[in-house]
Amino acid sequence: MRLLLVEDDEMLALSLTRFLRSAGFAVDHVSSAQNARAMGLQEDYRAAVLDIGLPDGSGLEVLETWRQARSEVPVLLLTARGGWQDKVNGLKAGADDYLAKPFHAEELVARINALIRRSEGRVHKVLQASGFELDEERKRVRTPEGAWHGLTGTEFRLLRCLMARPGRIFSKEELLEQLYNLDADPSHNVIEAYIRRLRRLIGRDSITTLRGQGYVFDTSQ
Amino acid sequence: MFSIRPSKVTRSLRTTLLWWLLPSAIVFMGVAWLIHGFLLEQMSRDFVHERLHQEAEFLERQVRQTYPDFDAALLADSYFHEVFHHTFALRIGDRVAFSHPSRQDKFQPWLQNPQTNFLTIEGDETGASFLAFRKAFEMAGEPIVIIVAEDYSLLADSQQELHLWTAVVSAALLLFLVLLILLAVHIALRPVKQLQRELGDLRAGARDRLSLYVPNEFEGLIFELNRLLDTLDTRLERSRQGMANLSHSIKTPIAALTQILADRDTPVEGPLREQMVSRLVDLDSQLEAEMHRSSFAGPQAGKTAAPETQVREIVWMLGRLYENKQFHMETDLEQPRWPVEEHDFSELIGNLVDNAGKWAKSEVLVRLTQSQNELVLEVEDDGPGVEPSARAGLGSRGLRLDEQTEGHGLGLAIVRDIVERYNGHLVFSDGRLGGLLVRINLTKT
Repeated sequence: MRLLLVEDDEMLALSLTRFLRSAGFAVDHVSSAQNARAMGLQEDYRAAVLDIGLPDGSGLEVLETWRQARSEVPVLLLTARGGWQDKVNGLKAGADDYLAKPFHAEELVARINALIRRSEGRVHKVLQASGFELDEERKRVRTPEGAWHGLTGTEFRLLRCLMARPGRIFSKEELLEQLYNLDADPSHNVIEAYIRRLRRLIGRDSITTLRGQGYVFDTSQ
Repeated sequence: MFSIRPSKVTRSLRTTLLWWLLPSAIVFMGVAWLIHGFLLEQMSRDFVHERLHQEAEFLERQVRQTYPDFDAALLADSYFHEVFHHTFALRIGDRVAFSHPSRQDKFQPWLQNPQTNFLTIEGDETGASFLAFRKAFEMAGEPIVIIVAEDYSLLADSQQELHLWTAVVSAALLLFLVLLILLAVHIALRPVKQLQRELGDLRAGARDRLSLYVPNEFEGLIFELNRLLDTLDTRLERSRQGMANLSHSIKTPIAALTQILADRDTPVEGPLREQMVSRLVDLDSQLEAEMHRSSFAGPQAGKTAAPETQVREIVWMLGRLYENKQFHMETDLEQPRWPVEEHDFSELIGNLVDNAGKWAKSEVLVRLTQSQNELVLEVEDDGPGVEPSARAGLGSRGLRLDEQTEGHGLGLAIVRDIVERYNGHLVFSDGRLGGLLVRINLTKT
């Protein structure tokens, strides 16, 4: 299995490469953002380990370049900064996992294997409806203005249900089936609350209420 | 006039005040001056009209008494003539008489029309223009017309002079207003000058707090500035303390490790090697803890967080990392921002929700609500929960409930730290899902 390692610290890269090879990976090592960009797009890797702090740029920028070029390689970020906001920014840029330095090499291998397992048989599906894009892998939605918004599990299931059949009216009962919610007896108010939240996230007019009937995504269809 | 406003770049209080007050004062005075002119004109016209009217009636009585004779002398004789520069013209049938024969041509045409009304007779080359009253009546079938006229230009001149003086006085008042504004600004800014001096002293180390001997309006400002100084002091003290702790705690292991590595005679293997690795791991965790502690801004940093957005992002991210667990979020937040520093808030949320994610069997619920000036954050999971007796120790430094689940201790310790720093409340209880429920209340200060 081919793996790309992007790490500028020679000592760390050396021992990691050795360890990853013994774990059965064919490792290509690069130590600059420029090379990482090129290699990531030219070659076909099963996974990539990407350090955020590179001498000639940020690993996040490299990652964004890859994702813009529609590369779906699973990426694990390495960073010396373990703040939550850093982690969020990493995943927003399109990473799949995150490891703060220092770490045990065993843990790195375990995480890489988990990523590869997760990506196997994964068909990257994107649902599109009236200018909106729903990224089913990363559970996020892009509005026509181009901004991505992360969705929680329930929000994602509800929106996927509505977007899968734009123009079709879904009653509250039908939508309730999408939420195996925490409450033993989920009420209609829960649906209303979630619809309200989705509207706040992706625009008021995206979902229309038909009084007494239910909800519709994009009535123009 | 009002569209010309000082741009945002104008940073002088004086200029701003003058820009705002002067145009309105000028407009106000201009309007007052115009109204004054108009009223003056009106009044003097009314006054002249009234007089002309009375004289015409007087003349009419004279004519009626002497009719059908006609005494032209009565026009020349009248005392009005000297006093008011009045001019009289009379027509009885075909006979005409004038008090000033020189003005005969001027008034002759007006006598032809037997009507009663006020007239304005425009000036000739001498520049005299007249206000006149024409009275027409009949006696024995003969039409009689009387005209009484006053030279209006003299009156107009004096009136203009008065009007001009009013303008001069207004302008003087305006100037006085400007001076008052400048004076007011000067007086109002004196405490600011004092503040500036004191801040200079403060920086030079000549004083450590600002004096409160200032006008009432500035007391709040000074008080806040002093509080800010307290905050800065506390923060400086804390970071110094932190650095000292850190330096103290890592110097020794570094010295030991350097010692061993530099000593060529000691082979690095077996238990010694293990020991060295564990020393380095300890080093890192100390560094990490201290970094966390010193990176918090704490309250009064003048920063705000966007709780809903940040909770959403953390929940979304952990939902991706814990693939087989459901993360839910409930919120009814009205205010988009809250006075907690953003980084602090994301550490708080991240550690809480991550902790719940580690222990959850399948579900984590995050609830974000607010009452008046309190932000309430609840995180619960459907994991095994924590015995009530063990809850007090949660997040106390160094306590590990479970050796396998790493980071449980540090994560909650950080949460505890942040909550304390913002004078919030942290409560552990049983959640509805069967696991631990952590509730945090943050009050606006």
